[in-house]
Amino acid sequence: MNRKIGFETAVGIFIVAGIACLAWLSLRLGKVEIGGGNQFPVSAEFASVAGLRAGSTVEIAGVQVGAVESIGVKDYKAVVRMRVHGGIGLPEDTIASVRTRGLIGDKYINLSPGASDRMIPAGGKIRETEGALDLEGLIGEFIHGSAKK
Amino acid sequence: MAAVPSRAGEPTDQVRGTIDRVLEILKKKELQAKEKRAERRALLRGEISKAFDFDEMAKRSLGPPWRQRTQEERKEYVTLFRQVLENSYLGKIEAYQGEKIRYMKDSVEEGRIATVETFIVTGKGQEIPVNYRMVKERTDWRVYDVVIEEISLVNNYRSQFGGILQRSSFEDLLARLREMVKASDSGSGSRKEGR
Repeated sequence: MNRKIGFETAVGIFIVAGIACLAWLSLRLGKVEIGGGNQFPVSAEFASVAGLRAGSTVEIAGVQVGAVESIGVKDYKAVVRMRVHGGIGLPEDTIASVRTRGLIGDKYINLSPGASDRMIPAGGKIRETEGALDLEGLIGEFIHGSAKK
Repeated sequence: MAAVPSRAGEPTDQVRGTIDRVLEILKKKELQAKEKRAERRALLRGEISKAFDFDEMAKRSLGPPWRQRTQEERKEYVTLFRQVLENSYLGKIEAYQGEKIRYMKDSVEEGRIATVETFIVTGKGQEIPVNYRMVKERTDWRVYDVVIEEISLVNNYRSQFGGILQRSSFEDLLARLREMVKASDSGSGSRKEGR
Protein backbone atom coordinates (compact mmCIF):
# COMPACT_ATOMS: atom_id res chain seq x y z
CA MET A 1 0.00 0.00 0.00
CA ASN A 2 2.76 2.46 0.97
CA ARG A 3 4.77 1.66 -2.13
CA LYS A 4 1.72 2.37 -4.32
CA ILE A 5 1.09 5.74 -2.65
CA GLY A 6 4.76 6.60 -3.01
CA PHE A 7 4.64 5.65 -6.69
CA GLU A 8 1.52 7.72 -7.36
CA THR A 9 3.04 10.71 -5.60
CA ALA A 10 6.10 10.47 -7.81
CA VAL A 11 3.91 10.32 -10.92
CA GLY A 12 1.96 13.34 -9.62
CA ILE A 13 5.17 15.32 -9.11
CA PHE A 14 6.40 14.46 -12.61
CA ILE A 15 3.09 15.57 -14.12
CA VAL A 16 3.17 18.89 -12.26
CA ALA A 17 6.79 19.40 -13.30
CA GLY A 18 5.87 18.56 -16.89
CA ILE A 19 3.04 21.06 -16.94
CA ALA A 20 5.28 23.70 -15.38
CA CYS A 21 7.82 23.11 -18.14
CA LEU A 22 5.13 23.38 -20.80
CA ALA A 23 3.89 26.62 -19.26
CA TRP A 24 7.41 28.06 -19.22
CA LEU A 25 8.00 26.96 -22.81
CA SER A 26 4.78 28.50 -24.09
CA LEU A 27 5.50 31.76 -22.33
CA ARG A 28 8.97 31.91 -23.86
CA LEU A 29 7.90 30.87 -27.35
CA GLY A 30 4.71 32.89 -27.31
CA LYS A 31 6.69 35.99 -26.33
CA VAL A 32 3.99 36.90 -23.87
CA GLU A 33 5.05 40.04 -22.09
CA ILE A 34 4.16 40.01 -18.45
CA GLY A 35 4.09 43.55 -17.18
CA GLY A 36 4.59 44.92 -20.74
CA GLY A 37 4.94 48.48 -19.61
CA ASN A 38 7.40 50.96 -21.05
CA GLN A 39 5.84 50.79 -24.53
CA PHE A 40 6.21 53.83 -26.75
CA PRO A 41 3.45 54.53 -29.31
CA VAL A 42 4.31 55.99 -32.71
CA SER A 43 2.52 56.10 -36.04
CA ALA A 44 3.57 56.19 -39.69
CA GLU A 45 1.86 56.57 -43.05
CA PHE A 46 2.61 54.40 -46.05
CA ALA A 47 1.46 54.37 -49.66
CA SER A 48 0.91 50.62 -49.29
CA VAL A 49 1.31 48.09 -46.50
CA ALA A 50 0.21 45.05 -48.52
CA GLY A 51 0.03 42.16 -46.06
CA LEU A 52 1.13 43.91 -42.89
CA ARG A 53 -1.26 43.22 -40.02
CA ALA A 54 -1.83 43.95 -36.34
CA GLY A 55 0.79 42.01 -34.45
CA SER A 56 3.41 42.21 -37.21
CA THR A 57 6.83 42.88 -35.75
CA VAL A 58 8.72 46.15 -35.72
CA GLU A 59 12.48 45.71 -35.98
CA ILE A 60 15.71 47.63 -35.73
CA ALA A 61 18.84 45.93 -37.06
CA GLY A 62 16.98 42.64 -37.32
CA VAL A 63 15.93 42.66 -33.67
CA GLN A 64 12.29 42.95 -32.66
CA VAL A 65 11.70 46.18 -30.74
CA GLY A 66 7.95 46.36 -30.95
CA ALA A 67 4.79 45.40 -32.80
CA VAL A 68 2.06 46.84 -34.98
CA GLU A 69 -1.02 47.75 -32.97
CA SER A 70 -3.48 48.76 -35.65
CA ILE A 71 -3.71 49.70 -39.32
CA GLY A 72 -6.17 52.18 -40.75
CA VAL A 73 -6.69 54.32 -43.83
CA LYS A 74 -6.51 58.12 -44.00
CA ASP A 75 -6.63 60.14 -47.24
CA TYR A 76 -6.11 56.86 -49.12
CA LYS A 77 -2.86 56.21 -47.27
CA ALA A 78 -2.29 53.42 -44.78
CA VAL A 79 -1.81 54.68 -41.22
CA VAL A 80 0.03 52.22 -39.00
CA ARG A 81 0.04 52.58 -35.23
CA MET A 82 2.79 50.67 -33.50
CA ARG A 83 4.39 50.29 -30.10
CA VAL A 84 8.13 50.31 -29.61
CA HIS A 85 10.12 49.45 -26.45
CA GLY A 86 10.61 52.64 -24.50
CA GLY A 87 14.23 53.60 -23.99
CA ILE A 88 14.95 53.33 -27.70
CA GLY A 89 15.13 56.89 -28.96
CA LEU A 90 13.87 57.40 -32.51
CA PRO A 91 15.55 60.39 -34.19
CA GLU A 92 13.26 62.63 -36.24
CA ASP A 93 14.72 61.40 -39.53
CA THR A 94 14.16 57.72 -38.75
CA ILE A 95 12.88 55.86 -41.80
CA ALA A 96 10.15 53.22 -41.43
CA SER A 97 9.94 50.64 -44.23
CA VAL A 98 7.48 47.82 -44.89
CA ARG A 99 9.63 44.81 -45.70
CA THR A 100 9.08 41.15 -46.50
CA ARG A 101 10.83 38.16 -45.01
CA GLY A 102 12.63 36.55 -47.88
CA LEU A 103 10.69 37.47 -50.99
CA ILE A 104 7.19 36.20 -50.23
CA GLY A 105 7.10 35.80 -46.45
CA ASP A 106 5.55 37.80 -43.63
CA LYS A 107 5.55 41.55 -43.73
CA TYR A 108 7.22 43.52 -40.97
CA ILE A 109 8.29 47.09 -40.30
CA ASN A 110 11.97 47.96 -40.32
CA LEU A 111 13.11 51.12 -38.56
CA SER A 112 16.32 52.77 -39.70
CA PRO A 113 17.45 55.36 -37.12
CA GLY A 114 18.66 58.71 -38.39
CA ALA A 115 21.18 61.40 -37.50
CA SER A 116 18.93 64.06 -36.02
CA ASP A 117 19.39 65.27 -32.46
CA ARG A 118 15.65 65.70 -32.09
CA MET A 119 13.70 62.61 -31.07
CA ILE A 120 10.19 61.62 -32.09
CA PRO A 121 7.97 62.10 -29.01
CA ALA A 122 5.62 59.43 -27.66
CA GLY A 123 2.49 59.46 -29.80
CA GLY A 124 4.44 61.19 -32.56
CA LYS A 125 4.79 60.33 -36.22
CA ILE A 126 7.62 58.78 -38.22
CA ARG A 127 7.56 61.03 -41.26
CA GLU A 128 9.99 59.24 -43.56
CA THR A 129 8.53 56.01 -44.87
CA GLU A 130 8.97 53.44 -47.61
CA GLY A 131 5.83 51.53 -48.51
CA ALA A 132 5.59 47.89 -49.51
CA LEU A 133 7.24 47.16 -52.83
CA ASP A 134 4.76 46.04 -55.41
CA LEU A 135 6.65 42.99 -56.59
CA GLU A 136 3.90 41.79 -58.89
CA GLY A 137 3.78 45.27 -60.43
CA LEU A 138 7.51 45.35 -61.00
CA ILE A 139 7.42 41.89 -62.57
CA GLY A 140 4.50 43.06 -64.68
CA GLU A 141 6.47 46.10 -65.84
CA PHE A 142 9.41 43.90 -66.72
CA ILE A 143 7.21 41.56 -68.72
CA HIS A 144 5.22 44.44 -70.15
CA GLY A 145 8.40 46.28 -71.12
CA SER A 146 10.04 43.34 -72.83
CA ALA A 147 6.85 42.45 -74.67
CA LYS A 148 6.96 45.91 -76.28
CA LYS A 149 10.44 45.29 -77.61
CA MET B 1 -0.77 68.18 -37.56
CA ALA B 2 -2.61 66.67 -40.48
CA ALA B 3 -1.10 66.78 -43.97
CA VAL B 4 -2.86 69.27 -46.21
CA PRO B 5 -3.13 67.88 -49.72
CA SER B 6 -3.13 70.46 -52.49
CA ARG B 7 -3.25 70.23 -56.20
CA ALA B 8 0.06 71.98 -56.78
CA GLY B 9 1.60 74.51 -54.46
CA GLU B 10 4.95 76.12 -53.80
CA PRO B 11 6.94 72.89 -53.44
CA THR B 12 5.71 71.61 -56.80
CA ASP B 13 6.52 74.96 -58.41
CA GLN B 14 10.04 74.69 -57.05
CA VAL B 15 10.55 71.18 -58.48
CA ARG B 16 8.91 72.05 -61.76
CA GLY B 17 11.03 75.19 -62.10
CA THR B 18 14.26 73.28 -61.54
CA ILE B 19 13.33 70.47 -63.92
CA ASP B 20 12.28 72.97 -66.62
CA ARG B 21 15.55 74.88 -66.32
CA VAL B 22 17.57 71.66 -66.38
CA LEU B 23 15.79 70.52 -69.56
CA GLU B 24 16.45 73.93 -71.10
CA ILE B 25 20.17 73.51 -70.44
CA LEU B 26 20.09 70.03 -71.96
CA LYS B 27 18.32 71.26 -75.07
CA LYS B 28 20.67 74.19 -75.74
CA LYS B 29 22.27 73.44 -79.10
CA GLU B 30 25.43 75.37 -78.29
CA LEU B 31 26.10 73.14 -75.28
CA GLN B 32 25.57 69.79 -76.95
CA ALA B 33 29.14 69.28 -78.17
CA LYS B 34 31.58 67.12 -76.24
CA GLU B 35 33.95 70.03 -75.64
CA LYS B 36 31.13 71.89 -73.96
CA ARG B 37 30.53 69.16 -71.42
CA ALA B 38 32.34 70.87 -68.55
CA GLU B 39 30.42 74.09 -69.16
CA ARG B 40 27.11 72.26 -69.44
CA ARG B 41 27.80 70.31 -66.25
CA ALA B 42 28.70 73.50 -64.38
CA LEU B 43 25.33 74.98 -65.33
CA LEU B 44 23.52 71.79 -64.37
CA ARG B 45 25.36 71.65 -61.03
CA GLY B 46 24.31 75.24 -60.36
CA GLU B 47 20.64 74.42 -60.85
CA ILE B 48 20.80 71.24 -58.79
CA SER B 49 22.61 72.92 -55.88
CA LYS B 50 19.79 75.39 -55.57
CA ALA B 51 17.15 72.69 -55.39
CA PHE B 52 18.93 70.05 -53.29
CA ASP B 53 20.08 70.41 -49.70
CA PHE B 54 23.16 68.19 -49.94
CA ASP B 55 24.23 68.88 -46.36
CA GLU B 56 20.96 67.54 -45.04
CA MET B 57 20.99 64.59 -47.44
CA ALA B 58 24.54 63.70 -46.41
CA LYS B 59 23.72 63.93 -42.70
CA ARG B 60 20.63 61.76 -43.03
CA SER B 61 22.45 59.24 -45.20
CA LEU B 62 25.13 58.70 -42.57
CA GLY B 63 22.57 58.19 -39.82
CA PRO B 64 23.48 57.79 -36.12
CA PRO B 65 27.28 57.69 -36.75
CA TRP B 66 27.02 61.35 -37.78
CA ARG B 67 26.77 62.39 -34.13
CA GLN B 68 30.19 61.01 -33.19
CA ARG B 69 32.08 62.61 -36.05
CA THR B 70 34.14 65.78 -35.64
CA GLN B 71 33.47 68.96 -37.61
CA GLU B 72 36.37 68.24 -40.01
CA GLU B 73 35.24 64.64 -40.59
CA ARG B 74 31.69 65.79 -41.29
CA LYS B 75 32.90 68.43 -43.70
CA GLU B 76 35.05 65.96 -45.62
CA TYR B 77 32.26 63.40 -45.71
CA VAL B 78 29.67 65.92 -46.95
CA THR B 79 32.00 67.13 -49.72
CA LEU B 80 32.62 63.58 -50.95
CA PHE B 81 28.97 62.58 -50.63
CA ARG B 82 27.95 65.62 -52.62
CA GLN B 83 30.36 64.73 -55.41
CA VAL B 84 29.14 61.12 -55.50
CA LEU B 85 25.55 62.28 -55.74
CA GLU B 86 26.21 64.98 -58.30
CA ASN B 87 28.10 62.63 -60.58
CA SER B 88 25.32 60.08 -60.26
CA TYR B 89 22.64 62.66 -61.10
CA LEU B 90 24.55 64.31 -63.90
CA GLY B 91 25.02 60.95 -65.57
CA LYS B 92 21.32 60.18 -65.39
CA ILE B 93 20.25 63.67 -66.46
CA GLU B 94 22.53 63.60 -69.47
CA ALA B 95 20.93 60.30 -70.49
CA TYR B 96 17.58 62.09 -70.81
CA GLN B 97 15.68 60.88 -73.84
CA GLY B 98 12.50 62.91 -73.85
CA GLU B 99 10.78 61.36 -70.83
CA LYS B 100 7.76 63.32 -69.63
CA ILE B 101 7.23 64.40 -66.05
CA ARG B 102 3.73 64.28 -64.59
CA TYR B 103 3.14 66.35 -61.50
CA MET B 104 0.47 64.78 -59.32
CA LYS B 105 0.13 66.67 -56.06
CA ASP B 106 2.03 67.92 -53.07
CA SER B 107 1.25 67.84 -49.39
CA VAL B 108 2.70 70.00 -46.68
CA GLU B 109 3.06 69.15 -42.99
CA GLU B 110 3.52 71.71 -40.26
CA GLY B 111 4.26 74.27 -42.95
CA ARG B 112 7.82 73.03 -43.38
CA ILE B 113 7.95 69.45 -44.71
CA ALA B 114 6.54 68.68 -48.15
CA THR B 115 6.17 65.71 -50.44
CA VAL B 116 5.96 66.40 -54.17
CA GLU B 117 4.54 63.41 -56.04
CA THR B 118 5.51 63.01 -59.68
CA PHE B 119 5.72 60.33 -62.32
CA ILE B 120 8.42 59.93 -64.92
CA VAL B 121 6.81 58.55 -68.06
CA THR B 122 9.28 56.73 -70.28
CA GLY B 123 9.10 56.40 -74.04
CA LYS B 124 7.74 52.88 -73.56
CA GLY B 125 4.89 54.19 -71.45
CA GLN B 126 6.28 52.99 -68.11
CA GLU B 127 5.28 55.21 -65.23
CA ILE B 128 7.87 55.50 -62.52
CA PRO B 129 6.70 57.15 -59.29
CA VAL B 130 9.25 59.70 -58.04
CA ASN B 131 8.51 61.55 -54.81
CA TYR B 132 10.59 64.48 -53.60
CA ARG B 133 10.80 65.10 -49.86
CA MET B 134 11.46 68.76 -49.25
CA VAL B 135 12.11 71.03 -46.31
CA LYS B 136 11.42 74.74 -46.22
CA GLU B 137 14.51 76.79 -45.49
CA ARG B 138 13.59 80.43 -45.07
CA THR B 139 11.76 81.03 -48.33
CA ASP B 140 12.96 78.13 -50.45
CA TRP B 141 11.90 74.53 -50.57
CA ARG B 142 14.86 72.18 -50.95
CA VAL B 143 14.98 68.45 -51.54
CA TYR B 144 16.43 66.23 -48.81
CA ASP B 145 15.34 62.84 -50.13
CA VAL B 146 14.15 61.30 -53.38
CA VAL B 147 11.88 58.26 -53.13
CA ILE B 148 11.65 56.25 -56.35
CA GLU B 149 9.25 53.28 -56.43
CA GLU B 150 9.02 53.51 -52.61
CA ILE B 151 12.82 53.27 -52.29
CA SER B 152 14.43 56.18 -50.49
CA LEU B 153 17.80 57.46 -51.68
CA VAL B 154 18.75 58.37 -48.11
CA ASN B 155 17.81 54.94 -46.76
CA ASN B 156 19.70 53.26 -49.56
CA TYR B 157 22.93 55.06 -48.67
CA ARG B 158 22.26 54.78 -44.95
CA SER B 159 22.20 50.97 -45.06
CA GLN B 160 25.27 50.81 -47.29
CA PHE B 161 27.27 53.23 -45.16
CA GLY B 162 26.07 51.52 -41.99
CA GLY B 163 27.35 48.22 -43.34
CA ILE B 164 30.74 49.68 -44.22
CA LEU B 165 31.10 51.36 -40.82
CA GLN B 166 30.11 48.10 -39.16
CA ARG B 167 32.76 46.10 -40.99
CA SER B 168 35.59 48.63 -41.01
CA SER B 169 36.00 52.34 -40.22
CA PHE B 170 34.98 55.87 -41.07
CA GLU B 171 38.28 56.36 -42.89
CA ASP B 172 37.42 53.35 -44.98
CA LEU B 173 34.03 54.86 -45.82
CA LEU B 174 35.71 58.08 -46.97
CA ALA B 175 38.15 56.05 -49.08
CA ARG B 176 35.23 54.16 -50.60
CA LEU B 177 33.50 57.46 -51.46
CA ARG B 178 36.68 58.77 -53.08
CA GLU B 179 36.80 55.61 -55.21
CA MET B 180 33.19 56.16 -56.27
CA VAL B 181 33.95 59.73 -57.30
CA LYS B 182 36.98 58.63 -59.30
CA ALA B 183 35.04 55.84 -60.99
CA SER B 184 32.17 58.08 -62.07
CA ASP B 185 34.56 60.79 -63.26
CA SER B 186 36.45 58.42 -65.56
CA GLY B 187 33.40 56.43 -66.63
CA SER B 188 31.38 59.46 -67.68
CA GLY B 189 33.52 59.99 -70.76
CA SER B 190 31.63 57.14 -72.39
CA ARG B 191 28.22 58.81 -72.06
CA LYS B 192 26.34 59.53 -75.25
CA GLU B 193 26.52 63.19 -76.15
CA GLY B 194 23.61 65.06 -77.71
CA ARG B 195 20.67 63.20 -79.08
